[in-house]
Amino acid sequence: MIRVEDLSVRYGAATALDGVSLSVAPGEKVALIGANGAGKSTLLNALSGMVPTAAGTIRLDGRLAHVPEGRQLFADLTVDDNLRLGAFRVRERNPAWIYEFLPELGRLRGQKAGSLSGGQQQMVAIGRGLMAQPDILAIDEMSLGLAPIIVQQLAERLSELNAQRGLTLLLVEQSARVALSLCDRAYVLETGRIVTQGSAAQLTDSPFVVAAYLGSPVQGAL
Amino acid sequence: MSAFLSYLIHGISLGCGFALIASGIIIIYRVTRVVNLAQGMFAVVAGFSAASLLDAGVPHVLAESLAIGTSLAVGVFTGYVAVGRRGTSSQASLIVTLGIGIFGYAVELLTWGDQPRSFAGLAGSFELLGVDVPKQDLLVTPLTLLVFVALELFFERTYPGKAMTACASNPYAAALQGIGVRRMSFCGFGLGGALGGVAGVLLTPLHPVSYDSDVSLFVNGFAAAILAGLKRPVLALAGGLLLGVAESMVAGYSKASYQSSLALLLTLAILIVQATRRETLHALEES
Amino acid sequence: MSFDSRSATIAAFAGAAFAAAALLDESALSAYVLLTLTASVTVGVSLLMGHAGQVSLGHGAFYACGAYAAGLLATHGSPTWLGLLAAPLASAAVATIVGVPLLLLRGHHLAFATLAFQLIFSSLISELSITGGDVGLQGIPRLSVAGIALTSVRSYAYLSCTTLLLIVVIAQNILSSRPGRALRALSSSEVAAASSGVAVGHYKLAMFALSAGFAGLAGGVYAYYMGYLSPGSFPVMLSNEYIVMAAVGGLGKVSGAVAGSAVVFLLVHGLSRIATLSGMPSTAPIILSYAVYAVLLVSAVLFLPSGLLGLATTIAARVRGRAASTVRKAQETAAPAGDGRDGTATAERVASKHGSVS
Repeated sequence: MIRVEDLSVRYGAATALDGVSLSVAPGEKVALIGANGAGKSTLLNALSGMVPTAAGTIRLDGRLAHVPEGRQLFADLTVDDNLRLGAFRVRERNPAWIYEFLPELGRLRGQKAGSLSGGQQQMVAIGRGLMAQPDILAIDEMSLGLAPIIVQQLAERLSELNAQRGLTLLLVEQSARVALSLCDRAYVLETGRIVTQGSAAQLTDSPFVVAAYLGSPVQGAL
Repeated sequence: MSAFLSYLIHGISLGCGFALIASGIIIIYRVTRVVNLAQGMFAVVAGFSAASLLDAGVPHVLAESLAIGTSLAVGVFTGYVAVGRRGTSSQASLIVTLGIGIFGYAVELLTWGDQPRSFAGLAGSFELLGVDVPKQDLLVTPLTLLVFVALELFFERTYPGKAMTACASNPYAAALQGIGVRRMSFCGFGLGGALGGVAGVLLTPLHPVSYDSDVSLFVNGFAAAILAGLKRPVLALAGGLLLGVAESMVAGYSKASYQSSLALLLTLAILIVQATRRETLHALEES
Repeated sequence: MSFDSRSATIAAFAGAAFAAAALLDESALSAYVLLTLTASVTVGVSLLMGHAGQVSLGHGAFYACGAYAAGLLATHGSPTWLGLLAAPLASAAVATIVGVPLLLLRGHHLAFATLAFQLIFSSLISELSITGGDVGLQGIPRLSVAGIALTSVRSYAYLSCTTLLLIVVIAQNILSSRPGRALRALSSSEVAAASSGVAVGHYKLAMFALSAGFAGLAGGVYAYYMGYLSPGSFPVMLSNEYIVMAAVGGLGKVSGAVAGSAVVFLLVHGLSRIATLSGMPSTAPIILSYAVYAVLLVSAVLFLPSGLLGLATTIAARVRGRAASTVRKAQETAAPAGDGRDGTATAERVASKHGSVS
């Protein structure tokens, strides 16, 4: 569904992505793990066409919805409006099925998006992405600033979508824990390069990943 | 009393014109973050065009509509030059709109010469509470209200209107949804052009327009827009009316030449008070 | 640029300017006077826009203020040299008083405020009887300094040339001094400047007052040169002209302001001359000048953000770069183990200094 080959993206003189290659098959749940500044957001921006690429190729078989870092909702518009605007590219603008799928949003539909809590906003952002009826949903830093239990709920919903509708997921995360628990496979990105990749099980056991992105077991328990 | 009423009515019409100019400035600012210094020029071009078309025998309503169409086109052109090129900063765009306003002078002088022009709007007058009210005055206010209601509905109830608001609110997120920010910018400028045109077409029968009328129109429109915080057009209606009536009163009871100055001073005072309050808040936060 | 080469440039410029004043014939001299006076104001506007980031849509008011100050004093019996001295002081004083509240505003609020200020000022001078209202001030006596009366156009050309040079020297010295460096820090980031201890508010006000003073001095000379003043001499469009010249030349640089003024002024006046040829309508010169201002402004802002000066330095840097690599190649073939560094290093240093905008 997604095939990226040798992708490079530059901002002026700085190289944000350097020869990145990855692939995502239909129906997969793939994670992209990396620290701040590793280039994860740049990769998503390249996939959704928001930044020009300097070299390499991107092949997308299907529609990709990019849920940006920090949610980036239209703060002055209502939840309902935000969802409807997500459907700008498609014909069906009615968010009824989103309210079914995420009932909490139904209660909030008339509220200004800027007045919601972080978790609620993330739900709206995901809902907005889903309104475009994508084949692939790419979410940037879903868990940032959210309580673990909220993240857990979101992850469950996403799993449902993946199982029921075959929605391909690409999750970009600083926190490997969430990403690896939800996804089947992951890539690790460091300063613009893929440094390692593997199945979720492999990476969870890898000492390198544990040290850098998962923290010690004691810390994790907190 | 009748003098007061006459000044009041004239002030309301004037204020409606300012409010229309203000709404154009606000919409363009919301969508593109650029202050359009050429906004007054849109009104002047429409006023001149309507006068020429009417002189040429084109019937009312059609002439005015064509004139508004002209200013709409000029608006889109302005937008294209000001924000069409990627990477133009807000300050650069501001200066570009200044340049286009100056270019407008050249075109206006070339096409219509340097003499003020007007045209007859609704002929005749009306007696209201002992005052002779020109019928044109009675036309301006309801039409302005209509325009503002339409704008409010557009932005609050329609999908394209909401898409435009989204562009203004978060251009990056809007682009992610597929909303063409560039196209929205041109639409915003076009809408601004049209609104300027409505102002020009409504005001010219009351007040002859000449190539340098754009400055006072802009300054007053911008003042009204600033009083509205550059946010919602509806608030500009209040600001515009306030300015229009204030100026009319000053012109009537004191010297006509001071009318603008007092309104400007009022606006400046409000801006400075707001800024001082912000500064003291900052100082308090930091201590 | 090192101190010596800068003073050399200024000296060369001074020489050329004086030579022009001495050699041009009468018909060109009146244009010369206006050009040098306009350039004097533009220096201030350019510095304001380039360093303090303030778009002054109303700078013509300070020009008018200086002119009227000098004119008022001179027509009320004051010695003319006093009027000339009062001109910049009056403008600077007005700018300081007005600037305290005004500079609390930012961005487009400030732009609006400067425009509003000019309109209010124009309104005042049109109304007050002391300034002669719409008719203005007549019969301003000729300037006389130390008993010598300046009566010929050429003498005013020397005066206006001196005025411009004075302003250029002052502006250049201020920019290269410690306050000047603080100013340049201001232009890149107010927040950064503030956090490193720069009293942002004070510098902005000082810059505003200084640029007003420059305009005022030029205005004072204008008053004596013309002998009469009216509100019509100072339209709103005047302020726009300064902005065009500053933008075309390159914001923030004194040499840019002068170059921009010269280019725009000569272009506009040259084309106006063509437009006054027989067969053209009477409004042709004005239409042409508006069109030229507009096209120059938009083109400069969109395509030459660093102005003509930026273009010149880019070309110069490229030429020097090519020259330096030629030198390097020559040195390498001559002494392969030798250090070709000196030639190239200097070129790079020069190139980088010219390359920076502020």
